[in-house]
Amino acid sequence: MLSLRSVTKRYGALTALDGVSLDIARGEFFGLLGPNGAGKSTLMSLAAGLRPPDAGVLTLDGVAVTPSDPATRTALGLVPQSLALYDELSALQNLQVFGRLYGLHGGVLRERIDEALAAVGLTDRRRDQVKTYSGGMKRRLNLVAALLHRPKLLLCDEPTVGIDPQSRNAIFDYLEARNRAGLTIIYSTHYMEEATRLCSRIAIIDHGRIHALGTLDELLTRLPFEEEIGFPAIPATAALAAELGAQGTLTTLDGRHRFEPRADFPLSAFYARTEAHGLAPRLFTAARPTLEAVFLHLTGRNLRE
Amino acid sequence: MAVIPTLVRKDIANFLRNRAAVSLTFVVPIVLIYIFGWVFGLNQKDTGPTGIRLAVVNASPNPAAQKLVDALRAEKAFRVVTTFDNPDRTTRPLTEADLRPLIRDGRFRFAVVIPADVVRTDDIGLHLQILSDPRNDIEAQTVNGLLQKAIFSNVPELLGQSLQARAKQFLGDGRFNQFNRGIANSVATAFGGDPAQIQRTIESGSLGLDRITRPAKPADPTLRRLDNAPAAAPTPGTPAAAKPVPATAADFFSRLVKIDQEQVVGKNVQSPAATRLVGGWAIMFLLFAVSGGAAAFFDEENAGVFQRILSAPVSRAQLLWSRFLYGVLLGLVQLLTMFLAGHLMYGIDVFGHLGNLIAVSVFAAAACSSFGMLIAALAPNATAASGLSTLLVMVMSATGGAWFPMSFMPEFMQTIGKFTLVYWSMEGFQQVLWAERSFVELLPILGILAGITLAVMTVAIWRLNKKSIFA
Repeated sequence: MLSLRSVTKRYGALTALDGVSLDIARGEFFGLLGPNGAGKSTLMSLAAGLRPPDAGVLTLDGVAVTPSDPATRTALGLVPQSLALYDELSALQNLQVFGRLYGLHGGVLRERIDEALAAVGLTDRRRDQVKTYSGGMKRRLNLVAALLHRPKLLLCDEPTVGIDPQSRNAIFDYLEARNRAGLTIIYSTHYMEEATRLCSRIAIIDHGRIHALGTLDELLTRLPFEEEIGFPAIPATAALAAELGAQGTLTTLDGRHRFEPRADFPLSAFYARTEAHGLAPRLFTAARPTLEAVFLHLTGRNLRE
Repeated sequence: MAVIPTLVRKDIANFLRNRAAVSLTFVVPIVLIYIFGWVFGLNQKDTGPTGIRLAVVNASPNPAAQKLVDALRAEKAFRVVTTFDNPDRTTRPLTEADLRPLIRDGRFRFAVVIPADVVRTDDIGLHLQILSDPRNDIEAQTVNGLLQKAIFSNVPELLGQSLQARAKQFLGDGRFNQFNRGIANSVATAFGGDPAQIQRTIESGSLGLDRITRPAKPADPTLRRLDNAPAAAPTPGTPAAAKPVPATAADFFSRLVKIDQEQVVGKNVQSPAATRLVGGWAIMFLLFAVSGGAAAFFDEENAGVFQRILSAPVSRAQLLWSRFLYGVLLGLVQLLTMFLAGHLMYGIDVFGHLGNLIAVSVFAAAACSSFGMLIAALAPNATAASGLSTLLVMVMSATGGAWFPMSFMPEFMQTIGKFTLVYWSMEGFQQVLWAERSFVELLPILGILAGITLAVMTVAIWRLNKKSIFA
């Protein structure tokens, strides 16, 4: 559906996207995962036709997406990262404005607005000024405002920043329902649990490049270890911890060590060492690695921005 | 207690980081003080207006009349024009018949006519004429004062000739010569000198009357009114109205020097003072309103609304021109509301010129709206937009003539003022409400306002397209 071929975008000396190629199929719930400044929002703005690429081509159903051709944009909806709403207007007025921009009028517009407000639980507050809404209500309104015209492709740029778990879940439920109904969604986030829950395929992007692309299981195969091992950071385990540093990655957080063994360090060798130190097996937990482990493995642990 | 110094340091650091706040606190006042300094002569030796175009028709062959013209030329307030430019680029002397059309066309706002019979034989005294378009009350009163000062300072010779001529007619040639010879002999006997020379001097009109009319020291221009019968009643609150003119020897001369004052333009205006002022005020407040719109531009950018709108089938051009159109509509409604308020409060004749007023309001609102777009294009954020617009609105209002007559400023600032949309918008409103022009006569001003709008919008759109405001 959406295709990027060697897309590059620069801002002065900064290369925000560096030869990105990507194909997103119809009906996918595609996750775009990356740290701050990785190039996610730039990719979204190019896909939305807000900016032209400096090199490469973006096509939506075979038609080039460019700022100079607004016609292709009827097929897509954008949920901006910020709350792109008019605070002084009511929810109803906001949706009327955004619906009319897509050529919706009269009964059709009223019907779509009623549906949208009901879907995100805002029907009762439809005539209240948006500035009186909670953060979660604004986020929900921000989402449905992009869907009034029933686009084929929805671009969600970190749509759940700063909201409560209830609103986040409501947004997830709504998006999943729309995806099941056939809507293709590109979902940009840096929350691992969101990508894990929602996305059928994930691209990990950093420094303007796609570092990994695939399903969650496919991405996990990129890790050099199969399991993460956790144990308490206590004096009894100190000698073991010192030895393990050379056999993989050992991190310590909140009084617990987390050990990610090297690919050539078999778990049997690990347990042999625990026995040699006289440590009881109950001190140790083994778990399937998470998307966060993949993400940190690929993007590193250095602070960004 | 380190808390208070810490918090004070924080406020200072915040303030210094905010360039708009710094400019509003320091730059704007300094710029305005500089402009006001020029207006009120704080940085000049000689105060008062400059460069006012004054048409002078001298139909008298009398050398003393030419002296009067020269005296007017020497007055720094005036740029005296005595010739008419023909379409074929030749020139000819101005005539009285030229003056009224030229004043109606706005080429001059003041004219002095020295008629051929400035010294009459059938009457004692002189006869002069001043034609005016007193569209600005303060300027008109000041110019009137300066003209009369120049006239009274230079007419004694003419007045002496008038007295001589009248005496000659009354006494007859023989007794007239005998009378003058007697006075000359008496003067020569008492003070010395050649009686024949003294007689020639007396007959030329040089009777020393200028010593009476010459002011002891230069006075405030607004107080140099020596005539007891001004063309228009002074506006309450102006300096001339506030202080009565002291009775001097000049009162005597004002009866001998008859100055016919004719108001060529605006004489039918019902509420002159309010009509003169309303245009400038209206346009200044409109500029502040559209500047607020420029700040709102950044609010929409920050909220990401532009991204949402432009991700719809909407082009940047549509977005920008819709914002411009909104500014025009807001401006039109605001201007008409202010004129309606002027009608209700001060009796300004709005409905008699409604069509033309709407036409000028539309073009003025368009120019102001384009100014708002330019502010949004130039400023990096809403705070800077607010500071920049405050500075520009106040400077344009001051130099464009919304606060005080432009002629009170140095000529280079008057020239700058003519490049402001405030000047041309005010000019448009004056042409409608004061000069009662027809729509066709308004077309040049409407064209200039349209040109300003087009030029400013071109720059604004170019800048906005270069900014990352949209994505």
